[in-house]
Parts: sequence; C-alpha cells; structure tokens
Amino acid sequence: MPTQFSLGPHKQPDGTTVLAVSGEIDMSSAPALAAALEDTAGRLVVDLTAVEYLDSAGIAVLFDHAHHVELVVPELLAPVVTVSGLGELVTVRGPGAAPPV
Amino acid sequence: MCEVTEVRVAGSDDGDDSSTADVFVTGGDVTRDLAAVDWSATPLGPPAEWPQSLQTAVDILVSSRFSMWMAWGPRLTFFCNAAYRRDTLGRKYPWALGRPASEVWAEIWDDIGPRIDTVLSTGQATWDEGLLLYLERSGYPEESYHTFSYSPLRDDAGAVVGMLCVVREDTERVIAERRMTTLRDLGSDPSVVRTEQQMLTFTSRQLGRNRRDLPFTATYLFGEDGLARKAASTGFADGHPAAPAELVVGDAASVWPAAGPARDEPVVVDLKGTPFTGLPTGDWPEPPSQALLVPLLQPGATPYGFLVAGLNRYRPLDDTYRGFVELVAGHIAAGIGSARSYRAQQRRAEELTELDRAKTVFFSNISHEFRTPLTLIMGPLEDLRSRVGATDERAGQDLDVIHRNGLRLGKLVNSLLDFSRLEAGRMQGRFEPVDLSAVTTELAGVFRSAIDKAGLRLDVDTPPLGRQVHLDRGLWEKVIFNLLSNALKFTFEGAITVAVRADHDQAVVTVEDTGIGVPEDELPRLFQRFHRIENVRARSTEGSGIGLALAQEIVSMHGGTITADSVAGEGSTFTILLPFGSAHLPAESLIPAGGTTVAPDASAYVQEALRWLPDSTATGSRSAQEPPSGLQVASTGATRVLVADDNADMREYLTRLLSDAGYQVTAVIDGQEALEAARATTFDLVVSDVMMPRLDGLALVAALREDPRTASMPALLLSARAGQEASIEGLHAGADDYLIKPFAAAELLARVRANIELARLRTHQARWRTALVDSLQEAFFVCDADGAVIEINAAFTEILGYGSEGLPYYPVHPWWPDPVTDPQGHQAVADAFATLVGQSSGTYTIPVTHRDGHRLWARAAFSQAQDPDTGQAVIVGTFRDVTAEHYAIQRDNALASMSTRLAEATTLADALSAALSELKDLWRAEAVLGVVFGDGDEPAVSQAGASLRWQDLSDERRRVLTELWDGPLLAPVSDHTWSGIVLEHPRGRLVLWIDLGTRRPFTDEDRLLLSLLAGHVGPSLTRAHQIDQQRETAVALQRAILGPSELPAGFAVRYEPATQPLEVGGDWYDTVTLPDGRIGIVVGDCVGRGLPAAAVMGQLRSACRALLLTDPRPAQTLMALDRFAAKLDGALCTTVFCGVLDPVTGHLSYSTAGHPPGIIAGSDGSTALLEGGRSLPLGVRPGRARPAAEHTIPARATLLLYTDGLVERRRRSLDEGIERAGRVLHDGRAKPVEDLAGDLMTRLAPAAGYDDDVALLLYRHPGPLEVSFPAEPAELGRVRKALRSWLSQCQLDTLQAQNVLVAAGEACANAVEHGHRDSPGEIVRLRAEAFADRLHLSVADTGRWKTADASSGRHRGHGIAFMRAMTQNVTITTTADGTTVDMQIRIV
Repeated sequence: MPTQFSLGPHKQPDGTTVLAVSGEIDMSSAPALAAALEDTAGRLVVDLTAVEYLDSAGIAVLFDHAHHVELVVPELLAPVVTVSGLGELVTVRGPGAAPPV
Repeated sequence: MCEVTEVRVAGSDDGDDSSTADVFVTGGDVTRDLAAVDWSATPLGPPAEWPQSLQTAVDILVSSRFSMWMAWGPRLTFFCNAAYRRDTLGRKYPWALGRPASEVWAEIWDDIGPRIDTVLSTGQATWDEGLLLYLERSGYPEESYHTFSYSPLRDDAGAVVGMLCVVREDTERVIAERRMTTLRDLGSDPSVVRTEQQMLTFTSRQLGRNRRDLPFTATYLFGEDGLARKAASTGFADGHPAAPAELVVGDAASVWPAAGPARDEPVVVDLKGTPFTGLPTGDWPEPPSQALLVPLLQPGATPYGFLVAGLNRYRPLDDTYRGFVELVAGHIAAGIGSARSYRAQQRRAEELTELDRAKTVFFSNISHEFRTPLTLIMGPLEDLRSRVGATDERAGQDLDVIHRNGLRLGKLVNSLLDFSRLEAGRMQGRFEPVDLSAVTTELAGVFRSAIDKAGLRLDVDTPPLGRQVHLDRGLWEKVIFNLLSNALKFTFEGAITVAVRADHDQAVVTVEDTGIGVPEDELPRLFQRFHRIENVRARSTEGSGIGLALAQEIVSMHGGTITADSVAGEGSTFTILLPFGSAHLPAESLIPAGGTTVAPDASAYVQEALRWLPDSTATGSRSAQEPPSGLQVASTGATRVLVADDNADMREYLTRLLSDAGYQVTAVIDGQEALEAARATTFDLVVSDVMMPRLDGLALVAALREDPRTASMPALLLSARAGQEASIEGLHAGADDYLIKPFAAAELLARVRANIELARLRTHQARWRTALVDSLQEAFFVCDADGAVIEINAAFTEILGYGSEGLPYYPVHPWWPDPVTDPQGHQAVADAFATLVGQSSGTYTIPVTHRDGHRLWARAAFSQAQDPDTGQAVIVGTFRDVTAEHYAIQRDNALASMSTRLAEATTLADALSAALSELKDLWRAEAVLGVVFGDGDEPAVSQAGASLRWQDLSDERRRVLTELWDGPLLAPVSDHTWSGIVLEHPRGRLVLWIDLGTRRPFTDEDRLLLSLLAGHVGPSLTRAHQIDQQRETAVALQRAILGPSELPAGFAVRYEPATQPLEVGGDWYDTVTLPDGRIGIVVGDCVGRGLPAAAVMGQLRSACRALLLTDPRPAQTLMALDRFAAKLDGALCTTVFCGVLDPVTGHLSYSTAGHPPGIIAGSDGSTALLEGGRSLPLGVRPGRARPAAEHTIPARATLLLYTDGLVERRRRSLDEGIERAGRVLHDGRAKPVEDLAGDLMTRLAPAAGYDDDVALLLYRHPGPLEVSFPAEPAELGRVRKALRSWLSQCQLDTLQAQNVLVAAGEACANAVEHGHRDSPGEIVRLRAEAFADRLHLSVADTGRWKTADASSGRHRGHGIAFMRAMTQNVTITTTADGTTVDMQIRIV
C-alpha cells in the first residue's frame, strides 16, 4: 500500500506559490513531492502543517529545492528539519505565523 | 500448596499374602519369624505396601552374616538378622521383631536413644567402639561391650526414616584383655620382689587396679596354729567385718569357710547376711552377690592359704571367670613359694660364706700337712699299682686315676707350699755351678714325649756356653717345667723352641712357642700371682695361676730377670737372663757342683701335661670307657642332665655317678659345647665346671639365662675355687647352686636332685604358662623391643605356617605381604608394625602371607610389657585369623555401599555411573568401564569419571570386551591387570570391566565380591530403568497438560514441581487466546503433589480452558469450575486465578478462587495487588456466585501471578512472602520478562530449594510488537501504522512517539533499500519491546549495508543521523546473514 500523500498548490496574491502537503512523506511518496517541486517555478512556500510523517527521503527532496522554497513546519516535524540542518538553509516558519517580509 | 497430604506412590490396597512372602525371600529362621510378625499392627503396615527402600534394607539386613539390626518408620520398628539374634538379642528373640526399638532396648535406651536421634536428625552416621552397655538378655543386667555404627536409612524420596546398626559384640575381647592385663601386671615384676610381704603388697596393688573383675579381694595365709591370717586385701576399708584379721579354719561361724580351700577345694559363697552388708562395689553400682574362695596351692603340700575374690555380679561365674581367679591365685601362690625359697637360698649363701672363710683359714694353716698323707698315699699306691694293676684291669684303671690325681694334688700342694714359702721369705736357694746348656737340654727332654704327642715339634738349641752359671737345680727345674708346661698348654700347632746362648756377661735362656700368644693388655700382669687369662683357647684350664709368678720369684733369687714377648695369635717368647759367676749370690748359699739331677715332681708335670692331650698314653688303657664328648649315656630315667667339664677324669666320674643315679647324662668338654647342647635340647639340669676353655662356667650360665629358650634351665656350678666371692659370683651369674670341689658323691647327688625338684617347682608357673599359651586358640607372640619375634605358640604356627624352629624372626618378617606385588598390603603391615613398636598397646587388622603363599587377614592385639627375667621391654601380642570375617565385612560393606549409591540414583545413567564409580573406589582401579551391547550401531561406553566412546578404545580392549560379552552372565573373568563381568542391562548386555593397573592380584575373594556386586547392580539398573520410563511417561503427560506450548507476546512463565524426579505437580498456569483477541489467563494450585495432583490439575486445566472459550467471563468460568471440581476426586480446595486480558488496552477482568493476589509493578516504581474478585477455593460452596474485579494494567507495568509455593515459607507470613516477591518484581521491572522470571525463581528460592510446587506467570503491558514485511517501499506505511498504534499503548507523548517513528522508519527504509537492490521481497523484521523505563527497537534484514552507496547516498546520511538523534543508543551489526539495527529509547 503506497503511503497516503496529497499536494495542494495554489498561488498567493503576492505571486508566491504555496504548496500544501498532507499525509506521510517517505521513500515511497518522496518522488511525487519532488515532481511537484520541479513543476513549480519561482518562490515557493511548502506548507508541511498537515504532514504526519517526514523522513530523510522527504528531507533530501527539500534539500534539492532549498534555493527557492520556504517551509512551514509544524512542531511534530521540527526535530527532523533541525537535525538535518535544512532549517539553516531555508526559511522556516511555524504554522499560522506571518510570512517573512 | 496449602496443605500436604501423604501420597503413596507405590503399593496397592489389597494386602495379598504372596507379596508378604516376596519381601522375605532370604531363607533362615529370622526370615520365617519376620514373616510371622503381624506387620499390619505396626506403623509400617503389611509388607506388600512397604516402599522399595524398606524392602531393600530388610533384604540386605537378613542376608548379611554380619550382626545388624535396623529400625524403620515413625516408631522405629525393630528388625534384626540371624547374627544379631545369636550374638546380642538372646532371650528377646523373637519377641523383639516388629516392636518399637525403644521397647526392645528399653534398658539401654538412655545410651542409644540420643545416638539414634542424631542419625535421624542429621543423617550422619555414628560410631562407637567398645561401648559398655548393661543388657538384660539373659535374665540379669549383663556387662557387655559393643562396637557399632548407626547409619541413616532413607525412604524412596530420600528422607531419613530409619537407621541401620552394624554391630560387633566385643564383650569377650574386652573382658579377656582386662583379665590378661591383670595377669600380665601380676607377672610383671617379681625380680625385685624379695620378701613375702613385698610380694603381697605388689600383688594387691595390681589386683586393686582391676576393680571390675575383682571388686574386692582378701588373701589369707594358713598358720601352724589353725588360724588363717589376712596377709593382704583390696577394696575393703579398714576393719570391714567381711575382712577380719584372723579366721579359725574349720569354724562354721567364721566369715569365710576356710576349710574348703584348706582341702584344695574352691568354694563359692553367696554374700547374704550380716558380715556382708556394705561390701565394696568395685567399679560397679552394686556390690558382688557372690565371692569365690580359691586355695593358694603349694605343690605337694597343703595350700599356703586362700584368696577371697568378690565377683562381678554383671558377669556369670563361668569357666573363664573361674579360671581367671584361679590364675590370680596361682600367681600369688607362686610368688609366696618364690619368696620363701629365696629366703632359704639366702640363708644357704650365708652358710657357704662362713664355710669358705673357715676353709681358707684351714688351708693356710695346714696345707703343708698335706704332704705327709700324700706321701703315705702315693707310696703304697705305687706299690699297689705294680702288684694289682697287672692282674685286675678294673682295679688297675681306678688306681691309675688315683695315682694321676695324687700326683697332681702333690704338685698343687708343692706349688702352694713353694709359694707360701716365697711369700714368707723362707725359701732358701742352694746354688751350685752348672753347665746351663746341659741342664736345660736335659730338662727339655723330659717334655719331649708330651710335646711329640701333641703333634708339636721341640727344638732345642743349646750350644755350650763355656762358662758356668750358679743355679739351684731344683728351683731351675720348676722354672723350665712351668714355661714348657705353659707353652704346651697354649700351643696347638708349630713348635716349641728352647735355646740357650751367652750374651756378654749373661746367659740367655729362651722358651718360645707358636701358640695363641698373650693379648697385649694382659702382658703387664702376666707374672702376677694367681693371675690367669680367662676364656682363651687352651688344652686345659687346670692350673693355679702361680706358675709364672713362681718362675719370676725363682729367677729373681738367681739374680736374673724373666720377660715375656708375645703377639696374640702368633706365639710367645719368655726370655731369662742369668748372670754368669756367683758374685751376685750370697756366699753362704753357694754349694759345690754335684747335686740331684731330676726333681722328684718332674713326673707330676709331665703326667699332668699328657692328660691334656687326646688319646693320651697315660690314660690310654681307659679311654675306651670314657664316653666321647657330647654323646648321651642312655638311661632309664627321663630326667636329663648335661655335664660340662674339661677334665676328662671329672667328666667321666660325674657321668658315671649321675648315670648310676638314674639320670640321662650328656657330657661335653667345655662351655661352648654345653651351650650348643642346651639350645638344641632341653635339660633338667646343667652341671658345669667353672674353669673351662673357650666358655667358662660363669659365661655359660649367663648365656643360658640370656636366651629365652634356656633361661629357666637350672645350672649347678662345680669349682675348686672356694670362697665367698666365688660363690656369690656364681649365683650372680644365675647359677642355681654352687658346689665346691672336692665333694662327696652323695652330696653331689643330693644337690642335683634338690635343684631339679626346686626348678620344677619354680618353673611350674612357667610351664603352666607355656602350656596355656600353647593351648590358646589365638596365635601368641612375643617381640623384643626391635620387633623381632622371639616366642610363638602352636596356633601361631598353625595360622602362619612359621614354626618356632625359625625363631627369632627379624623384621621385615617373612609373613609381610610382598612389597612388589602388594605394596598397599605391605604398607598396611608396615604402619601396623610402627604402632606395635611405638605404642604401649593397640589392635589392628592386617593382611599377612602364609608360608605357603596364601593371603590371610589377622586381627592382632598387643601390649608392651617388661620381661621379668631380663627387665627388657618386650611386646606381647595375640592375633587370630579373621580372613573369613574380613572378607565377609568387606563384602557386606561393599554391598551396603553399592546399594546406597544405587538407591540414590534416579536415572538409569546415574545408576550405572554410581555403580562404576563404586567399583572404581572399591578396587582403587585405574578405570572402570561399563559397556552396553544394545540395539545401537556400536556398544555404548560409560566410564567412571570421564566420557568415552567405543571407537576411542583400543582394538585389543574392544576385542576383550566383546569376548566378555559373549561369555556367561555374572561369571567374573580376570587377567593380571583387569577383571570383568557380564550382567543384564535394560538395553542389552552390560560388560563391567575393571582396569586394575599393575598393582594387585585379583583373588577369589575379589571375584566372589564382584559377582555379588554385579548381582546387585543388575536389578538396580532395571529399577532405575523403570523409574526412567515412569518419568518419561509422566513428563510427556505433564508437557501435554501443563501449559500452552506457545505463549502470547509479553508473557513469561516458570514451573517447578516439588517432587523429584517427576517433573509434574499440582500447580499450573495457562493462557488462552480468545476469539475476540483477548487472552484468558489462568494460574492454579491443586492440593497435594506428585502424579495424583498432576492428574487432577490436568483435568481442571482442560476444563477451565474450555469454559473460558465458551464464556470469557472469569467469575462465570470459576463458578462452572466449582461444579466440575465438586465431582472430581482431589480437586476440592484447588485455588485458581482466572482473568481475561485485553492486550491492546491492558484491561484485565478477573476473579480468584482462594488464590494469592497478583502483583503489578508499575513503570513509576509503584506496586499494587490484585485484591478484588476474591472468594473461596474451588468446590467448597458450589453454586455460590463469585465476584469479579477489573483492573487496567498501566503501560510498561509488569503483572505477576503465582502459586503459593513461590512465596509461602514456614514460620513466615504469606504477606511477607508477597511483599518479597513484589520487591523482586519491582527491581526487575526494567529487565526482559524472561530474565525477570528467572530472577524471581532464584531470588525467592529457599536455601534448600523449593519444597512445594511453584508456578509463576509474568506479563508486561504492552507485549512486544513484532512486524515482518517484504522489503518493498510500499510496505513502510503499514509498518508505521502498526508501530504508531503500539507506541500509543506504551503511552509515549506525541513528539517522542514521532521521533521513534522516524528512527524506526529510517531503519526500515534502509532495510528496504538493501532488499530492493540485492534480493527484492526478502523479509524485514521489526521488533519493539517496552520496559518500565525504555523501549527497545530492532530492525533486521538479510542484506548488507554499504556506508557510501552512490545510488542512494544523498540522503542516507540523514537517515542514520536521524536514528542517532532520535534514540539513545544505536548499534548496527552486520553479519553474513544480514544487518540488524538496535536502538534504545529512554522514556522521559
């Protein structure tokens, strides 16, 4: 059974694309995430608020796109982002916080 | 278990008589009488129900020939065998059989009861040697001694339920030794006892030391006035009416009937009435009830008196007791006789001294008066010889003797007179000028014939000197004759040389011989008056010792000197220097030349010299009549006399005199021959001259006294040497009498007769002792201080084959075992010998070798003693042949030991191993093999102490073993180095093979023992085999009924039955997985133990399981089980815990039937008891509703359920035990449940192990998660879901749960990647286990990780980093079989 996973990209008024991800990101679902990030040009906010599981497979995809993404990371996933060092490369916000100016 | 009831494993309900007979199969009266006992009336019940152990013990007992009894069961029911009946039980048989031992031995129960208690309570054997017990087996309290050991007897379960006593009665030995000691002490010291009173005091002291056999004694001596006076007593206080100072013999009113002993008759007196109150009790609680009066016998006369001996009331007055008292009396009588005869002897010695003094005075006054009568004898005698000698041969011979001895007497008288004249200065020389050469040649010529006769050469070298020497010719002759006579006496081969020469102004005369010479230290005293060199080889010892002194005096009168040079063994030279001329002589003593030519006594010198020579012409006419030396003169009389005298006349005279008096005479020529004759034959008297060559009379007597064979041979010394000193010297040397020459024939005969009779009286005791010793059944020996055997008796020779002709036997004695073939036996004897010479007394049992080579065992007892004659320490001992007894004991011990070891064995392998090691120990074998030739491919080999396979054995050994296997059963076969036997084994034939090494022979006794042992081993193996089978069956049954073969996750169990060797019991645990996923948990405990309880347990367990499946409500299940239990025998009062657990939530509903509460140890360190839902044990109130309770087991808490065997201890409350279990549970909450279960069993076990069945069940919530999945990425989501759910059961917070999830996810992803790459679809296993304080995760795959993997390396680094970041301890283990990741997560 493949990992449950869904993507919801939509444009913000400021032209930033927001990609809302839900479900679990593991080695079975990471390729789909990678594909979605490839397809989106320009600044991208990846909202992980609804993600229940994220492991090194997903982190690796996010590292590949670190140059153009910002992350919204819920508390549950914070250790993974911090431990991997991804938080030092990309802008990370908590859920509900205002986007950086 | 709550209660314990006795369970009989073996046996049956029906008391059938045929099985009674089976128990008592060994034949004999005792077996019959045992079978006749109404056993059902005893606590042991009918024999058919007896346990095997009792049957075996009884069988061993009755079949043993060694004295044994045993007691069994709660009242110590008494059994004994035939030997015990015969030796000890006496009249109590057969009454005693089957009775309580305390009743059988009521009178000694105070002594033996505590010993038996010790055996029963400690299981340790006791040992008592020679214990004094008062037995009432013959109708009165009897002094008895026993050596015995009590050893424990165990029942089939190994508990001590009885005792076996192996006993040897020592009464005879102890009492005999005690009496022997008294007799020995009595005889120990007579040599210093001089007077009668000293002797009696000594005797009393000795008798007073044996207060057991002689509680009191009194010695009365008869006086001539009709009174008997008390001379000594023991035990009595002064003035006791039973020991008056005087008794009137024949007075019926006196205390003791002295008339009986006065007539030589012993009398037994019953001690009743007035004079006998308050009698001494000796060493006993009660005084004697009888006294024995025995006469003090005086040979050939009325008794000296009598001995009153108070008798030990605890021993019968049997022959040995009576004999002992009589021997004591004999000692006293002999002592009195010896003291009185000593007194007489002393008086005689005083008289002799006086006589000698008078004689000396007489001699010195009138010796010169002899010459007149001698002249008047010799003159007519010459005349008579010439007239009668030619016509009457017999008279002529007698006259020759008279003539010869007349001459000798005359010469002695002359010498004495010369000497006394010299001494008085009255001798006047009359010197005339002579030709010294001519005179000396003439004188030497007189001796020529005698010297020729002696086979010697006489060389005379006397050239004319040309000058004259002034001599008194008569005196000069004495000088030359004395020198020649001496030379002839001491020279046995070679020559005697007489030479005369001139040397300046002196004439030199030498007399030289090649004789025995004179020792250097004797030279200075050679010319002393009366000095004689003792004990040298000479033709005769006749002589006065004044010859050389006289010669020196004479030479000195002539103004000359005489000197002697000598080398011992080569010869002597006497040199006389005489001045020429007469200037040195007083003028008035000079006379002109022309005196007599030959001195009148020249013939006396020559005659005398000729008598020294054998076959002398002077005595030739009667030599035929003299008996040759050493030849016995036959005589009708049996009394044998040995005569030793170097003087042929005297020898002949004595022989004739004694033969005519009826004695059987043996005559010898000197002391040495006499000694040899006396050692070879026993003589009643030795009559010896004092002065003899080689060994003189005094030395002869001393030598006789030194040798025990001749020490008691009386000796009568004859000597011409009168005087006090001489006779005292003779008596000191040990001579019995001393007779001075000349003596009258009648006096000699009287003395001879008196001495023979006196010696017979004196040696009466010794002869009696010899007869007594020879009549002993036991071998008797006496050793000197160095251990050399110097005396033995007939039994000694009979037992060992060594006779008295070989005495003395020096150590190492010839009967010691050979040190090469039997080093152990040799050592045993060497050790015993060390105690023999090193200790004052002792006993030992040793192996000895008969002269013909066969092996014996002897039990010896010995004591140090002092030889009363010599004062030297000797060892006196006895021994008897205990070979049969020794082997019987050895067999019995070996059989008992083997039986014990076999009885302890619980399996066939144990039994065989026990038998092998027992055999190994018994024969001290190098190795013992047991080889079973069964159905297998190759024989199964067992070895005592090591493992071994058939193929490890040498070809030769395999061949030997196979040959043995082919041979007959139970027939021992042996070779020099091994022995073997074949017996039946449950799996085929068993060959027992004993490697004896090279050390000892395997005797017939060994073979007998081996076959007996093998006979025991066979049935024991069968028994062990049966037990094995029983147990295997039981174990199979138990495994079938005990519990689930697979436990649900999270559970751990332990089970330990109390009854070994069976691994089943009445406790159980069970888990049942219910259709809804919940788990039924049951822990129960049936009453009792062993197989019957297990049978009940099995049924209850099955029922409970079925009931739970039907209706998974604990209270209802127990209620249904109540009804079931009420109908099931033995199920009543079973306690049960029944619960239903939801493994997801930890929810537990439960109900308990009288079962101890479960314990829960929480992750936070708290403990709680499951105390709800309690009601009565099963079946007590069937139909009554049971309560149920609920409890939710918190995450990571541990539940313990158990039976009371785990916690119940004697004299401790159950709560205490539960608390202790709670602590162990608490301490182990962070350990895996399997380990914790082990901890509980170990830490709660009593020191001696569990004495009750124990079952325990542990559950930790939640149980471990185990997920297996194919190595596919798509599986990961499902695995995560399961893990997430388990983590929630563990009640981890969300964030920590997420971290665990990531760490596990990374590990799984790695495994899937390897699976993808190398072997897609391989199984990956995830396991997660909770502990109180942590989780443990492991992920295992079959692949191999690569640290730098190009295809997937980009993010794999993150994966491992995540694992390390999210958990506390990550280890990755890669082996050929795959990779395992282990992670520990501490729970905060």
